[in-house]
Amino acid sequence: MKYRFKLYKGDEIKFIGHLDLLVAFQRVLKRAGMPIAYSQGFNPHQLVAFASPLSLGLTSTAEYGDFTLKEDLDAEFVMEKMNEHMPDGLKITSLVKLADGVKNTMSSLERAEYELYFDNTVTPEDIKANLENFMERKEILTMKKTKKGINETDIRPDIFWAKDISTEDAAAVEIQVSSGSIRNLKGETFAEAFCNHMGKEYNKYAIKCVRTEMLMKKGEDEFVPLNYGVER
Amino acid sequence: MYNALPDEILLQVEKPARYVGREVNMVKKNPSDVDIRFAFCFPDVYEVGMSHLGLQILYFFLNRREDTYCERVFAPWVDMEAKMREANIPLFALESQQPIKNFDFMGFTLQYEMSYTNVLNMLDLAGIPMFRKDRTEEDPLIICGGSCAYNGEPLADFVDIFYLGEGEVLYDDMLELYKQFKKEGKTKQEYLEALLKFDGLYMPQFYDVEYNEDGTIKSFEPNHPDAKRLIKKVVVTDMDSVFFPEKQLVPLIEVVHDRVTLELFRGCIRGCRFCQAGFIYRPVREKKACTVLENARKLMETSGHEEISLTSLSTSDFTEFEELACGLLDEFKDQQVSLSLPSLRIDNFSLDLMKKVQEVRKSSLTFAAEAGTQRLRNVINKNISEDDILNGCKLAFDGGWEKVKLYFMLGLPTETEEDLKGIAHLSEKIVEKYFEIPKDQRPRPVTVNASASCFVPKPFTPFQWDAQDTYEDFGRKALIVKDEIKRRQVRFTYHNTMMSSMEGVLARGDRRQSALLYRVWELGCRFDGWSDLFDFKKWQQAFEDTGLSIEFYANRERSYDEILPWDHISVGVNKSFLINEREKALAAETTPNCRQKCSGCGAASFGGGVCHEVQI
Ligand code: SF4
Repeated sequence: MKYRFKLYKGDEIKFIGHLDLLVAFQRVLKRAGMPIAYSQGFNPHQLVAFASPLSLGLTSTAEYGDFTLKEDLDAEFVMEKMNEHMPDGLKITSLVKLADGVKNTMSSLERAEYELYFDNTVTPEDIKANLENFMERKEILTMKKTKKGINETDIRPDIFWAKDISTEDAAAVEIQVSSGSIRNLKGETFAEAFCNHMGKEYNKYAIKCVRTEMLMKKGEDEFVPLNYGVER
Repeated sequence: MYNALPDEILLQVEKPARYVGREVNMVKKNPSDVDIRFAFCFPDVYEVGMSHLGLQILYFFLNRREDTYCERVFAPWVDMEAKMREANIPLFALESQQPIKNFDFMGFTLQYEMSYTNVLNMLDLAGIPMFRKDRTEEDPLIICGGSCAYNGEPLADFVDIFYLGEGEVLYDDMLELYKQFKKEGKTKQEYLEALLKFDGLYMPQFYDVEYNEDGTIKSFEPNHPDAKRLIKKVVVTDMDSVFFPEKQLVPLIEVVHDRVTLELFRGCIRGCRFCQAGFIYRPVREKKACTVLENARKLMETSGHEEISLTSLSTSDFTEFEELACGLLDEFKDQQVSLSLPSLRIDNFSLDLMKKVQEVRKSSLTFAAEAGTQRLRNVINKNISEDDILNGCKLAFDGGWEKVKLYFMLGLPTETEEDLKGIAHLSEKIVEKYFEIPKDQRPRPVTVNASASCFVPKPFTPFQWDAQDTYEDFGRKALIVKDEIKRRQVRFTYHNTMMSSMEGVLARGDRRQSALLYRVWELGCRFDGWSDLFDFKKWQQAFEDTGLSIEFYANRERSYDEILPWDHISVGVNKSFLINEREKALAAETTPNCRQKCSGCGAASFGGGVCHEVQI
C-alpha cells in the first residue's frame, strides 16, 4: 500500500539536511514497526521519497512525500504510530492512502509557498514601500546556482504572487513560486532579490524562511496541495 | 529558544546538528530535579564520539539514576571553536544546552593519546581553569577513564581522578558518596580523600614524584596515609547481569558508525604482545549468546538502525559464535539488516556467514598479519601463519571476493630488513594466489591493500621497556617495503610517522609532560589525531620550550628495574609475567592463548572470566 504524508519540520530539527531527514524518517518507520516495503535489486532500500529537498536551516509546515508498506494498514493508525516515534520537531500532520495511478510527489510538484521573516534591518514600512513595485518589474535578474554553475537568471516568471504579511513590529512576506524539477525558485533566492531591490543588505543567516505549502496542478490553471484529491 | 548558540552562528558552521542535541533516545531531565550533573566529554568531534560504544553504555548507565543527569559534550570542530570564542559562548552540554562550568563532574574518555590537547581545550572553552591547582569548589571535578587513563600521567596536573577499569563497577558508589558529601556541606577535597579507599581510582595529587639526574624516576610515593601503593583496576565479573542499555542514542546526522553495536565479551584470550587492549582488559569475560541476542532485539527495536556490528577484540573467539551468528540471521532475516563482522578469522563458516550478510562485491577481507615473517609474528605472539592467510584468501577468492586488506606494523622489536621485505612478499603471494584461479573465473582485478602503522610501545605490555623507532626510522623502513613491492595490484600505505612518534612520547609519558601539553595547546594544537590538523613543528617547539626530549620518552630502552610512571597501577597482570613474555619474545617463542592453557598472568585474581571457566 502506498501512502502520502504531509510532514511538519520545526525549529528543533531544522539543522539537518535533506539526506539526513530521509534517513531519520526511514528509521521512524522501522521503530514504529511498520511492514516496510523495499526496492528490488542488489542494494534494497526502503521505498520512501520526498517531494523536494528543504535547505538546511529552513522549517516547514508542509513537506510531502510517499512511502510504501507491504500491508494495507489504516492510515490513521500508521500516522499515530509513526508520530509516537518521531524525533523532536518532526510530525506527520496528514496521511492518506494513495489512489492508483497518482504521480509521485516529486514529479507532481510545480509550486511552493514560503513565508519570509526579515531581520530588523528591514521594517514593515520597507515592505509596504517596495513589494508592489518589486512585483511590477518585468524582469528580476539574479545570480542563481544551477547544475551548470552560477548563472544570471530572470526569476520574475517564477514568482506568482507575493503578499505583505508584516505585523506591527516584524517585516514579512508570503510568496508563491515555482518549485520542482522543471522550474524552481528557492524562498531564499527570492529574499535575496527582494533585499537587493530594497537596497538592503541580504542577511542570509538572519532571515527566517518557512515553507508553508507545496502544490500541484489540477485541471487547466488551478493549483492544489500535493495531498489534495489523491486519496484512494 | 532551543539552542545555546544563535541560529546565525549555527548556520555558518559545518554540520550544525553536531551542537544541538535532541537525537532519538536522548535522555531529557529537568536539571533542577537532579542532585548531580555529569558532563560526559568526548575529546573529539561529534561523529567520532557518537560512534563509541563506551559512551552509549555509560550515558544510559548514569542516567538510569534519578539523581544524576549525564549530558554529552564533544570537542567543537575548529570552525565552531572560532565562533564560540569570538562570541564568548562557553562550552555547553548538548542535552540542556547549558554551560558546563558549574557541573559536578566532567568525565573525559581517553581513547587515544592524540586527543589530549582537546581535553585541555575543552576545559578552556568551558571556562574552567585547566590546572587542578587553580580550580575551586565551584569547578567540576575532572575525571578521566578509557584505555589511556591507565597511564594518564601526562595529564596529571589537570585531572582530579583517573578511573581505572569499567564504569559499571564504581560510579554508583562514587555518586552516592558525592551526594552525601554535598548534602553535608563537605569540600571537594574531602570527597577526593574519601575516594582513596576505593580500588580503581588514581588521584595524582596524593602522590609525589622525585627524579634522578638522568631524568628517570627516583621515587613515586603516596603523600597521604590513605593513598594506596598499588591501585588495582576494577572489572565486571558477570557480563550477563551487568547493565546494558536497551536504547542507543541515534544521531540525526551521519556519523562514523551508524549502527547497533553489540558487545560479546571484554578482554581477549590471544595475548598479542604489542596490543595494550589484550593486557589491560584481562581476563576475557563473555556474555551468553542469548544475552547478546536479547540486547540486539531491544536495540534494533528502539533505534531503527539497519546494521548490527559485533564488536569485541577478536570476534571469532566468542565461544558461542556460530550460535549467535545464526540466531541473529534468523531473527532479522526479513528486515534487511546487515551484519558487520570485524576481526573475524577467515574460514568456511565465516565466509558463508559474510556472504549471507554482506555484499561480496563491495566488502573486502581483512587480515591483521601485523608482521611480514613468521619469525616476527612469533616475537609478537601473533597467532596467524602465512598458510592461514593464504588459505583464507584462496577460500575467499573462490567465494567471489577479490579485495584483501592487510594490516602490518613497522618498527616491531627485533625487526630486520627481511621482516620488512616480508610485508611486500606476503602481499604479492596473495596476488599470486588469485592468479591460480582459472582466468575465466576471475571477473574483476584483484587488489591487495597493505597498510602499515608505526609500532608504539605501550604501558602494561611486554614491550613497555622497548625503544620506539624514530620517525626517521619509520620513514626509511616504509620505503624499504615500498621499493620491494613489484606488483601493481598491491597498494601500500603507512601511518603518519611523526604522529606515531608523538603517540609514543605520550603513551609512556610522566607528569612532567603536563607542561608540554599545556605549551602545545598554547601554540594552538587541537585535534592532533587528524593528520590535516596535526602540526609537528609546534610539537617540536613545545619540546624545546619545556626542555623535554622526544628521545627520552620514545626512543629509549628502559631497564627492568627502572620505576615506570605507571608502576603504581595494576591491571591485574604481574610485572614478572610481562618480563617473562618479553624474554620469550626476544627468543621468538610463543605463548598459548588463555583457552589453550592458562599462563598464570595474574588476572585470575579478579575472580571471573576465562581464568575460572571449567576446561572441557
Ligand atoms: S590468569 Fe590465565 S586464563 Fe586468566 S587471563 Fe591470565 S593467562 Fe589468561
